[in-house]
Amino acid sequence: MHSDRAALSAVTQVAGHLLQSPPVVTPESSNYQVLELFTSQPELSNLPVVRDGAPLGIINRNHFMSMLARPFHREIFGRKPCTAFMDANPLVVDYHLPLTELSYLALSRGDKVLSDGFLITVDGGYAGVGLGVSLVQALADQQAQKHQQMMDSINYASVIQQSFLQSSRRDMAACLSDYFMAWEPRDVVGGDYYYFVKRDDGFFVAVIDCTGHGVPGAFMTLIMASALKQVLGTYDLHNPAALLSHINRQVKESLGQLSADERKPGENIEVRSDDGMDCAFCWYDNASHTLTFAGAKTPIFVLPRGADEVTVVDGNKKGVGYVSTPLDYEWDNHRVKLKPGSRLYISTDGIIDQIGGPKRICFGKKRFKEQILKHAHKPMAAQRQALLDAFHHWQGENSRRDDVSLFGMHFTEQHA
Amino acid sequence: MQNIYLAATSFSPEVNFDFAAHRLALKGECYPENAAVFFEPIMNALHNYLAQQQRSHITVDVQLAYFNSASTKAILAIFERLNAAAVAGNYVTVNWHSDPDDDTIMEFGQEVADDNGALDVHLLELA
Repeated sequence: MHSDRAALSAVTQVAGHLLQSPPVVTPESSNYQVLELFTSQPELSNLPVVRDGAPLGIINRNHFMSMLARPFHREIFGRKPCTAFMDANPLVVDYHLPLTELSYLALSRGDKVLSDGFLITVDGGYAGVGLGVSLVQALADQQAQKHQQMMDSINYASVIQQSFLQSSRRDMAACLSDYFMAWEPRDVVGGDYYYFVKRDDGFFVAVIDCTGHGVPGAFMTLIMASALKQVLGTYDLHNPAALLSHINRQVKESLGQLSADERKPGENIEVRSDDGMDCAFCWYDNASHTLTFAGAKTPIFVLPRGADEVTVVDGNKKGVGYVSTPLDYEWDNHRVKLKPGSRLYISTDGIIDQIGGPKRICFGKKRFKEQILKHAHKPMAAQRQALLDAFHHWQGENSRRDDVSLFGMHFTEQHA
Repeated sequence: MQNIYLAATSFSPEVNFDFAAHRLALKGECYPENAAVFFEPIMNALHNYLAQQQRSHITVDVQLAYFNSASTKAILAIFERLNAAAVAGNYVTVNWHSDPDDDTIMEFGQEVADDNGALDVHLLELA
């Protein structure tokens, strides 16, 4: 039944598809005849009145019955023409009227169409009636179908986006023994992204927050992934700050996101987009136990072995690729000694900035650091759960504001 | 000069730019689907207003809860424009209100103060 209805809704785009053909009466029919029809056919809620093939009005069962129930009305009106209790101004629509237009017309009549239905004509002649409930059903089906189409499309986009993460997942699993990578787009696909590549002398990890979320955010991750791949293939992984500069230049030029003084003289282009990424780029050198970090509006959180406090290493305040970031901007490399036993956490702003808690304020770095410290002794997989639990608890009833990505790792002896 | 008043929605802040009184206020959350579209008329009105000001005392009250990255850029652009007006001889006071437990918003206020030296920024804690 449900699938029949779904199949029907695929073609139910005009008023005519809601058409039903109940018995009709003429203006000469008496109220007794109408009463007889309503009595013998309990499912009949409305009766169309047709004169010489043209629609004239609708008699609503409830209205008709309550009128006839009044004292002496049956005796007075019984033999009179049925037009007495007829609505002479029903909604009349052409068979080919699109459903959307029909719904606005129906709404403009208040609640009448929902209870009385409407008359359908072909070339001006009476063809049948449509019920209010059929209209609502068809609109609901149409809505569900459109939503389904959109979600099918986004779900498939998610398959594509996740396939871009596969090689990073594989390298992470091959290189790290105690780690987690939580990646939760707010809307199935999203603007968060991560990248991991294993080399003989160490590894490179990037956690990236492209502008926006949802579909536009996902577009940006693909642009960034392609820029990143190209830059990583050409330049030295050991220098994350330089990688950021190269990507910045490439994105600004490819998207035309140049400030007024960066454009060529006489080049009169309109800058329409201002998109880019905030991110943390890290290279870890196995031999020296040194993490080299460059950040674009993204910090990293480190817990060196034996430390009793989480250290935040801030990146630079410029994002990558934006109009306001100069074409030749240089980020800074920060070097942190992270011996086996140390821990590293990288998060996009989705966790830090989530509104929640009793005062409906941001989760913030302070609470994030407290949570890291509280669970730091656990295996990383358990920490993932504990940190996300704390985050979800903070979020509570509030809607998710942004995509969430969180990377955590425990440096073990194998990185020596 | 037409004042601007926009009521807050669940994804955009209350905007109350009372140009006649030289008082501008932003309050609430900010994560519209298209931040550029939301901020463009606000920015244009601000620009037109500031272009006419000389030695004016302008007070800006800001009380934000959440703003996405696109909105952050737009908000920073507003303060850059105000800073330029202050450099040009106006006196601009910014009252930045944040919850004492909200380090994110406080840091953002500090950043606004650091980046715009001509503004008189007061970081105030909400009771």
